[in-house]
Amino acid sequence: MKSIVSRGMLSIFQSSKSRQLVVLFLVLTLSWTTISCGESDVKNSVGTTQNTKQAQENRANTAIADGKYEVQQATYDDGDGQYTLFLLNTPPSVPATFRTENLQMAQLTPEEVTANQSAYLNVKSGQAALHIPKDFKLEYVHNVVEKAENPQTGQSETRVVRQESNFWTPFAGALAGQVAGQAIGNLFAPRHYVPPMYQSGGLFGYGGYGNSYGQAVDSYRQRYQAPPIAERNRTVYRTTQRSRTTEFGSSTPRSSFGSSSSQRSTGTGFGSSNLRRSNSSSSYRRAPSSGFGSGRSSGSRSFGGRRR
Amino acid sequence: MSSWRDRMNQFSGRTRYVVCRLFLHLGGEQVAPLLGTLNQVAIAAQRDEGDLQTLGEGLVEICQSLLQSEVYWQSAANEGDVFWDEGAAGDYVNGLFTDSAQRYLSQPDVTPAHKDDPLVVPITRHVIVMITVAFEGEVPELESDLADISAMKEGLKALINVHYQDAIRAIQIHFSPAQLGDELTSDQILVNFPELIPL
Repeated sequence: MKSIVSRGMLSIFQSSKSRQLVVLFLVLTLSWTTISCGESDVKNSVGTTQNTKQAQENRANTAIADGKYEVQQATYDDGDGQYTLFLLNTPPSVPATFRTENLQMAQLTPEEVTANQSAYLNVKSGQAALHIPKDFKLEYVHNVVEKAENPQTGQSETRVVRQESNFWTPFAGALAGQVAGQAIGNLFAPRHYVPPMYQSGGLFGYGGYGNSYGQAVDSYRQRYQAPPIAERNRTVYRTTQRSRTTEFGSSTPRSSFGSSSSQRSTGTGFGSSNLRRSNSSSSYRRAPSSGFGSGRSSGSRSFGGRRR
Repeated sequence: MSSWRDRMNQFSGRTRYVVCRLFLHLGGEQVAPLLGTLNQVAIAAQRDEGDLQTLGEGLVEICQSLLQSEVYWQSAANEGDVFWDEGAAGDYVNGLFTDSAQRYLSQPDVTPAHKDDPLVVPITRHVIVMITVAFEGEVPELESDLADISAMKEGLKALINVHYQDAIRAIQIHFSPAQLGDELTSDQILVNFPELIPL
């Protein structure tokens, strides 16, 4: 009996077709178990996703492992609102410089000060927070820019004319700090800060603060009635409007009767964006399966293929 | 709507970018005054050199006046996409600007005006507004088919809310015709806005 069974198995394995079937079956089983395990992982971690969402709310993510790092020096660039931190005693896998646009800051607590703690970076669930003493100076790179309109595209561009080096002490504004400290409630909890309006000779205190970068920008706006420098520099304004010297209404109305051959009417368009542009030269092409909209039923097409 | 890939990306903590563009075509005798609102927003944007906050306030104003003139809505269309990469979203927004802009003439008219023309200003019976917005997060009202009166209403309301949530990263507003006295004809709409779906 045994020999019959084993002979039968052998014959199954010998025929190449059934061997392929067995392999396929094994692969399917394995991948199914893997996927279902992965899925349960995702479901379990929904809570943590929700928590980190708040932290990740704005701008680029930090690509640094959670932990505590000593900070030697910090630089803020108002051209793009990016912080560059030089870390000390990093493990071999972590690079010594760390760049992010999404950095929270906090003052060292009195206990930490008495314990002679120096500035450090605390990364918790992807959110970096810089803890610094009251008199810590961040290097502040100020970009002197001019806005110029590209005559060909009608897009106004920001050009950096020169850079100035300065410093910024977020928690040094003695009076401002005290008043704001009361308003905030706690200076020692990490929050987002926006530097104050630029002035040569050093920046003290902050222009805005908030639990997210957006809130910090809002509080800056309320104070100065203008967007922070970094926001302004990042925003690209594009328009199809006629040149600024032409005033609306002063030009003679044009009717399309005169040029009935024209296929298009007149129009105006304008827009601003502070999204980064990708550096790839190829323009975006929509994948056939992605996207939403009203034209979906008639087949999805990438841009421009529509009008023919 | 949320696919397997979406969930994985959300899990890994990446920011979700939504870029959407909607077209709204208004028709009737009373649509021309809308051009005033649109031009005011254009002037304000020009004055503040494209400050996103100013544009956002303009967007709210436009959405509100569009909602108020609901009786004139003729047809609509929308399209958009979801991105997990900021660069790709930025490129898409740029592409949409160019695509929207080539549907009308933006060059100044060089034909000399006839001084002895009678003072008659033709009143356009059609206005098309194109709104493109890029924002962070997820707004189901905008990520669907808006070629339906109630869906479009919800979409415009959602646009207003998105502005107040500070999630907007890009705003574009295009409209045709440019000003009072210019005309947009039904033929031009057929040729340049083939995706419009009657409401």
